[in-house]
Amino acid sequence: MLQCIFFLSDSGEVMLEKQMTGHRVDRSICAWFWDYVLSQGGDPSKILPVIASPTHYLFQLFRDGIIFLACTQVEMPPLMGIEFLCRVADVLTDYLGGLNEDLIKDNFIIVYELLDEMMDNGFPLTTEPNILREMITLPNIVSKMLSVVTGKNSNVSTRLPDATASCIPWRKTNMKLASNEVYVNLVEEMDAVFSRDGALVKCEIYGEVQVDSHLPGLPDLTLSFSNPSILNDMRFHPCVRFRPWESDQILSFVPPDGEFKLMTYRVKKLKSTPIYVKPQLTSDTGNCHINVLVGVRNDPGKTIDSITVQFQLPFCVASANLTSNHGTVNILADKTCSWSIGQIPKDKSPSLSGNLVLETGLDRLHVFPVFQVGFKIMGVALSGLQIHKLDIKNAPSQPYKGFRALTQAGEYEVRS
Amino acid sequence: MAPPPAPPQKSPSPSQPSGKSEVSDLKLQLRQLAGSRAPGADDSKRDLFKRVISYMTVGIDVSAAFSEMVMCSATSDIVLKKMCYLYVGNYARCHPDLALLTINFLQKDCHDEDPMIRGLALRSLCSLRVPNLVEYLVAPLGAGLKDGSSYVRMVAAVGVLKLYHISAATCLDSDFPAVLKSLMLTDPDAQVVANCLFVLQEIWNLEANKSEEASRERETLLSKKIVYYILNRIKEFNEWAQCLVLELVAKYIPSDTDDIFDIMNLLEDRLQHANGAVVLATIKVFLHLTMSMTDVHQQVYERIKAPLLTLVGSGSSEQSYAVLSHLHLLVMRAPMLFSSDYKHFYCQFSDPSYVKKLKLEMLTAIANESNTYEIVTELCEYAGNVDVPIARESIRAVGKIALQQYDVNAIVDRLLQFLEMEKDYVTAETLVLVKDLLRKYPQWSHDCIAVVGNISSKNVQEPKAKAALIWMLGEYSQDMPDAPYILESLIENWDEENAAEVRLHLLTAAMKCFFKRPPETQKALGAALAAGLADSHQDVHDRALFYYRLLQYDVSVAERVVNPPKQAVSVFADTQSSEIKDRIFDEFNSLSVVYQKPSYMFTDKEHREPFEFSEEIGNLSLGQEPVGNSPRYDESDKDLLLSTSEREENGGPSTNGPAASGYSAPTDYNSSLVSLSSQTQSETAISDPGMPKYTSQMTLAIDDLLGLSVSAAPAPPSLKLNPKAALDPGTFQRKWGQLAVSISQDCSVSPQGIAALTTPQALIRHMQANSIQCIASGGQSPNFKFFFFAQKLDGPPLFFLVECIVNTSSAKAQVKIKADDATASEAFFGLFQSALSKFGVL
Repeated sequence: MLQCIFFLSDSGEVMLEKQMTGHRVDRSICAWFWDYVLSQGGDPSKILPVIASPTHYLFQLFRDGIIFLACTQVEMPPLMGIEFLCRVADVLTDYLGGLNEDLIKDNFIIVYELLDEMMDNGFPLTTEPNILREMITLPNIVSKMLSVVTGKNSNVSTRLPDATASCIPWRKTNMKLASNEVYVNLVEEMDAVFSRDGALVKCEIYGEVQVDSHLPGLPDLTLSFSNPSILNDMRFHPCVRFRPWESDQILSFVPPDGEFKLMTYRVKKLKSTPIYVKPQLTSDTGNCHINVLVGVRNDPGKTIDSITVQFQLPFCVASANLTSNHGTVNILADKTCSWSIGQIPKDKSPSLSGNLVLETGLDRLHVFPVFQVGFKIMGVALSGLQIHKLDIKNAPSQPYKGFRALTQAGEYEVRS
Repeated sequence: MAPPPAPPQKSPSPSQPSGKSEVSDLKLQLRQLAGSRAPGADDSKRDLFKRVISYMTVGIDVSAAFSEMVMCSATSDIVLKKMCYLYVGNYARCHPDLALLTINFLQKDCHDEDPMIRGLALRSLCSLRVPNLVEYLVAPLGAGLKDGSSYVRMVAAVGVLKLYHISAATCLDSDFPAVLKSLMLTDPDAQVVANCLFVLQEIWNLEANKSEEASRERETLLSKKIVYYILNRIKEFNEWAQCLVLELVAKYIPSDTDDIFDIMNLLEDRLQHANGAVVLATIKVFLHLTMSMTDVHQQVYERIKAPLLTLVGSGSSEQSYAVLSHLHLLVMRAPMLFSSDYKHFYCQFSDPSYVKKLKLEMLTAIANESNTYEIVTELCEYAGNVDVPIARESIRAVGKIALQQYDVNAIVDRLLQFLEMEKDYVTAETLVLVKDLLRKYPQWSHDCIAVVGNISSKNVQEPKAKAALIWMLGEYSQDMPDAPYILESLIENWDEENAAEVRLHLLTAAMKCFFKRPPETQKALGAALAAGLADSHQDVHDRALFYYRLLQYDVSVAERVVNPPKQAVSVFADTQSSEIKDRIFDEFNSLSVVYQKPSYMFTDKEHREPFEFSEEIGNLSLGQEPVGNSPRYDESDKDLLLSTSEREENGGPSTNGPAASGYSAPTDYNSSLVSLSSQTQSETAISDPGMPKYTSQMTLAIDDLLGLSVSAAPAPPSLKLNPKAALDPGTFQRKWGQLAVSISQDCSVSPQGIAALTTPQALIRHMQANSIQCIASGGQSPNFKFFFFAQKLDGPPLFFLVECIVNTSSAKAQVKIKADDATASEAFFGLFQSALSKFGVL
């Protein structure tokens, strides 16, 4: 079980410590950890998530410039430690409206309160944001206004959450809400890998069904798809009933209030991608000519937006001179080159070309960059998944229902 | 040292929290507010509390304000209360007398009408952890367990565990475990049930060693009744509690197969839970339940495959690493089940390198006839990767696949293409692989040698690669026209060659080449032997002398020793024994899997507090050997061969004794990977003493070499130890308690050493010869434990204390060093390690 959690800044400074058990963990462990980070190159995002120090086993998670470090001295499921830290990061992001050093330092009282409710004696209690929100109110402007107006200066609700005593742990038993609406979003990420000769090595979609529900009472929802057979490897929010899905592929659930991830899925072995990126590199006596072409391969029917192409120049490149006929090209200090294209114009296909000067002594390029592509398409789920209908039972009046879809690039790589 | 604390960013006071003045200022302000009932007093208190807590957070000691904080704690504001609880919880331990002050208001809060405050107060009360305040805990805890609010009961349940850790006797005397047990079976709230289960498990586990009853209670937790009761409620539990329940079920021993299927049916939907920890815990249950049913076990693998692969793909890289480690374990156990999923293990550019490394290992494992082509194609793409370590790793993976497969035709071509890439690290890795390939598939020598022959030895810098190239030059010198001349030029640059490994290989290669092409190599061999005899490295010197004497004795015997016909290596030995793999598998869903070591190899008493050391040392036999100085082996060139043969006898049942070192030359750089036994047999089977054709030339060559005798002395270590160091056990114990561990590391023990370690005394005597004394030892095969000490020879009497745990089954020693002078401990560790590695060899 976890004995202590530290928050460290990305420069190794201890921002916060929360001891969980009677076995105090000394802060010196953070110094050990930071020395370890430095010995591994100093980049916290490249450190193993589970490491053994001479005295403790450490779990670490790096999110938005903050290192979450948990210590234990006993054997425990590693994923439990890592998942818990992920939840801590998620809940804090949710509460503080972001995650950075200043936000944590300004709100450390709330952070302490949250950690207190999320874990007792090293054992995780509740990490469900809906329940936590009822125990510790958000530090947002509304509550600040309220406290000024009413003179009640407390960010702790005085009543205990009903859900702690409910058999649906994710929802209050009796909710009265002014709004009566539910939104379903399909958010898909396309992962694709193209090999050196342009062949599609792998193409999958990782999708999430996100629901934003503001419904009064205890509504019972059923969501069905026109083509559920394309889905693979589903994972469900605890509210989803397993049997209806097993027999009829219907999602039947009582939703928690607010935003949540209803289901995640994967659609495998897709055959086509919306855009193509064709890099060409030709070396010649210490110079390397580079040319990248981008264009639409399969028109998804909606505009393809925010197209970017990013790649790391090999370390043996001494200087680079890159120009494009559309969009802007930036070369950062760490030799990352990013080309933001935006939308593809109708009259021409964007291309990037230029010359890389290699370090003296090198005749040709041996290391080839990988091009990472980003894009966003609103209004379409590229996997082809379609929502058939959403039924709501137990609702006092017919609520407003909204549907949206979005596809963006995940790990979209083109090798050269 | 911790990094210097930064000042809080938005401190209401402009002054910096520089030290005492700031704290005393706070104290003063708090005191003024303590009795104040003025409107707005709460607001100013809140600001002050916030400052106090922020100082505490950045690591400034504000415990001086304890009494003032307690005075201000009478408030109805819950945030103030929480801050106060936090402060008190942090400092109560170092101010037990002041902590008494807080008991009063905490106890009062335990009767508050708001269940939230009751719960918080009870939690804080139990978190004070001051032993002499235990008596005040019992009553509020008892009331808390019967509270009407589930929140309070939940806190109280964990409170019982906190009480147990402060004072186990009080906890057991108050009969809290029994109350918890009934609460666990009756409470309507799932979180209360989960907390009771958690606490009971921990208490009974710790108590089980002490009393019969406790271990019986621990058994009942695993009884069918309780397990089923909890399983039937599993959907009410939150995700973390589900993990706990699943851990419990994994230990449950089902009565029959119906039992197994009932549980699996009940838990099947847990495999699709959004929380990875739940999924993994469920998988553990499934694997454990079906362990004895081979066919169902296979089906379980099929069933859990998809959820695991999904978990890898979703979530952060940290999560996927933990999942991949488990997947890695399963893949290694049943590679063929995953052979069609190979695309899941393709590396993404953005994967961190630790994830890439695991993926590469799995790709290697699952390669079979049907997917090898795709996998090798993919791996070859990584060879041009920007990430050099991964590029190297993927070349090695290609080589490993080649060694696994029967159809290596295409792979050899690919490897040879790597050599043409003219990238130094690619060439280096490939050379090592080609060498291994040739040892397994000598029939490929023709194609490989043609390409290898074109590589200029100047382009190969890495010792391993250079050694591999030299090995090939020696082994296939008959097929490479300019082999003797390449060797000759390498030998000319002997002094510039830093790696002993390369020099050893040069010697052997020169010998081999000499037997095949004597006239051309004679000069080079002479130069090599001369340089070898003059070498300062002991092994190189030894080998040169050995070859020299061997040639002098009989050239035909020398040829039989150095250049026997070899059988192709059929299987390269695995680095990890299957026993260890099984142990790790039993510990599925634990840290063992991530570290790829069974837990006994890393959790051994690590987390014990120092005071437990005394009882530990009491169990060991004290000072078995009088402190003395046994004679050291004084080696001179004269008796070197003699002592070698003696050593072999001492070494006991080891297969590769020093006598075999002549032909075992190629194994030196890879001895852990090579199975030697087949070669040993083939060598002893040779009985034909037919004279080689070139005997006369050889004797001539040897005559040239006569008259060379150079004695070599190894470089003296910078740290010298006092051979007559003395320390009494009491002082040792005290020092051990005081000093911090400066080095904690694993090192390996040679197979000969393991063979010689039948009793602790063997190692003790050996270490004494190296001026490292033993103060206590104990244990029996396979685990031995030693406490050693040593003293620095000159200067003030500085001691090094060592705890050394040798595990003979894994051939590993865990060494922990504490030192009076921590800066010297690195050097001492070097000495210790070299002494340990010589054990059984000398």
